[in-house]
Amino acid sequence: MARTWTFAAVSAAALLSLSALAQQESQGTASLPDFSGVWGNPYLYGIEPPLSGPGPVVNKSRRPQTHDADGRRVTATNPPLVSSAIRLVGDYSNPILNPAAAEVVRKHAEMSLAGLGYPSPRNQCWPEGVPFIFTNSAVLLLQQPGRITMLYDEDHEVRHVRMNAPHPAQVTPSWYGDSVGHYDGDTLVIDTVGFKLGPFSAVDQFGTPFSQALHVTERYRLIDDEAARAAWDRGGRENSRNGLGIGEGWAPDPAYKGKGLQLQFTVEDKEVFTTPWSATKTYRRAFRDWPEQVCAENPHKYGTEKDAAVPTAIQPDF
Amino acid sequence: MSVRLPSLWLALLVVAAVPDALSQDIAPVLRPAGSDARSAAAVPDFSGVWAHPYFPGFEPPASGPGPILNRSRRADGVGNPNQFVGDYTNPILKPQAAEVVRRHGEISLAGGTYPTPSNQCWPSGVPYIFFQHGMQMLQLPDRIVFLYLRNHEFRLVRLNQPHPAAVVPSWYGDSVGHYENDALVIDTVGVKTDRPFAMLDMYGTPFSAALHVVERYRLIDYADARPAIERNSKENIRFGPAIQSLVFDPSYRGKHLQLAFTVDDDGVFTTPWNATITYSVPLGSWEEHVCAESRLGYFSTGKEAAVPIADKPDF
Repeated sequence: MARTWTFAAVSAAALLSLSALAQQESQGTASLPDFSGVWGNPYLYGIEPPLSGPGPVVNKSRRPQTHDADGRRVTATNPPLVSSAIRLVGDYSNPILNPAAAEVVRKHAEMSLAGLGYPSPRNQCWPEGVPFIFTNSAVLLLQQPGRITMLYDEDHEVRHVRMNAPHPAQVTPSWYGDSVGHYDGDTLVIDTVGFKLGPFSAVDQFGTPFSQALHVTERYRLIDDEAARAAWDRGGRENSRNGLGIGEGWAPDPAYKGKGLQLQFTVEDKEVFTTPWSATKTYRRAFRDWPEQVCAENPHKYGTEKDAAVPTAIQPDF
Repeated sequence: MSVRLPSLWLALLVVAAVPDALSQDIAPVLRPAGSDARSAAAVPDFSGVWAHPYFPGFEPPASGPGPILNRSRRADGVGNPNQFVGDYTNPILKPQAAEVVRRHGEISLAGGTYPTPSNQCWPSGVPYIFFQHGMQMLQLPDRIVFLYLRNHEFRLVRLNQPHPAAVVPSWYGDSVGHYENDALVIDTVGVKTDRPFAMLDMYGTPFSAALHVVERYRLIDYADARPAIERNSKENIRFGPAIQSLVFDPSYRGKHLQLAFTVDDDGVFTTPWNATITYSVPLGSWEEHVCAESRLGYFSTGKEAAVPIADKPDF
């Protein structure tokens, strides 16, 4: 992009072109939202079911919530029963699933109920794809001219989004798909198609499959602190707290009362789902700076009862 | 062909040409670290995709102590990319480090392959990661983000901040940077040593907790880049016409981005040493390259390295 700018700057005519380009790109940017900085969510895996309408597959295996978002122990007599982090039993009766997909989820659930782990992009160190990658706890969203770069906290995953550009007529399938975006008022909208079907392909931790028809739309916008807390309350009735103490995991900065960042996403795949479904993930300012998390180190295990069958590379790259 | 202009001139032209709305879009990238107006005027523009189409080693310096080079040469005298035999007689190496390099070379001479961060899909660390053929530098107000083409590696550099008093070792180390006139200077310490495949180049050269790397990035004209490019061409093989998704333009004569780096480690080296990486502007596009797919299997000896297996799942 810088080369585009530079080239445009070498002549007066190019200045006019640059101005025209600016007008083209500035559509809706008068109030361009600033999403910069580290955003975190302390829940595992932080996906919040929608207030209404079809939602994601959730975990049938539950346990009492032990800590709130700030890391304080939950003292209620009847704490909410939330997703068990060590037993992933996807609700295959969710009506969003067509019969074949429900069977795939059921088989994964049976493995988990039998005390077996199953391989996933996360535990096998493969690219997670979209929307699986939203299960990461933190994101850095870098707004640049002509593109958005998104960094995720687990295993150095990176996504690239081309701004104000269409998908190619022929999309080459890739791990993170072909993502294009634009600003719609105060909202960043990202449209992604063209996903590669690879080992451990799934849209979530429950093994929910996808096909080449997968289409994901993301909408990012800033919301006020009260709304962000309300979303976390909702998420905290579904997801377990990741890192239990105050300041552990992606705990929020207690001094920060500013905006939160909310991702609202819609997933469509007519080969897998009976209907489009949606969910949110809400981020707030993190308590800490960006850490390195290297999948191959296995430092963030959560105690799956037995080892997944880990494949090995069949040839060296060099 | 594109021509890179001094950033101040470019910034003035952009300010004159674009509406306020778009300059908001540009500002997070071009604005320098901090609010210091002096540094704001001097921030060079390193954005875009940069390519370094050589393999496997670093560019030797014009003079002075330099990196480990390959003792195995092709008929034309260039380092043999199918056999990594590090020159363990290089006087920069302390005896123990020389022995480590020699042992790696013996494996290669015997027709074997030894595991490295890049063939085992582990983070490369610094300075090993400079071998990567594609790089993007994102200049944010308070950080530099380096994206590397292969296996979605990235590094984060804090601008205008000191290292912590007690650095927690990490794969890419603790990197802090600042602009110094037309150069970006990055200082890295605290690179993790208790890790598999800890090495700072493809010859298996070890490092210790004392490793200290200083990077200096600067835009230079082709005429100034040419000596380093020619030195490199005599040492490392040049990919052509493309590697991965980047296509190299042999006729490119615009600005080059040169990384000059110094490596200091009194646990391993007898002296600090220097090398460069000279980046040009490629054609082609930035695409995904996933190590686990093993589809980049070039320059293998055809024998498999001993691939370690994770002994437990993360979840």
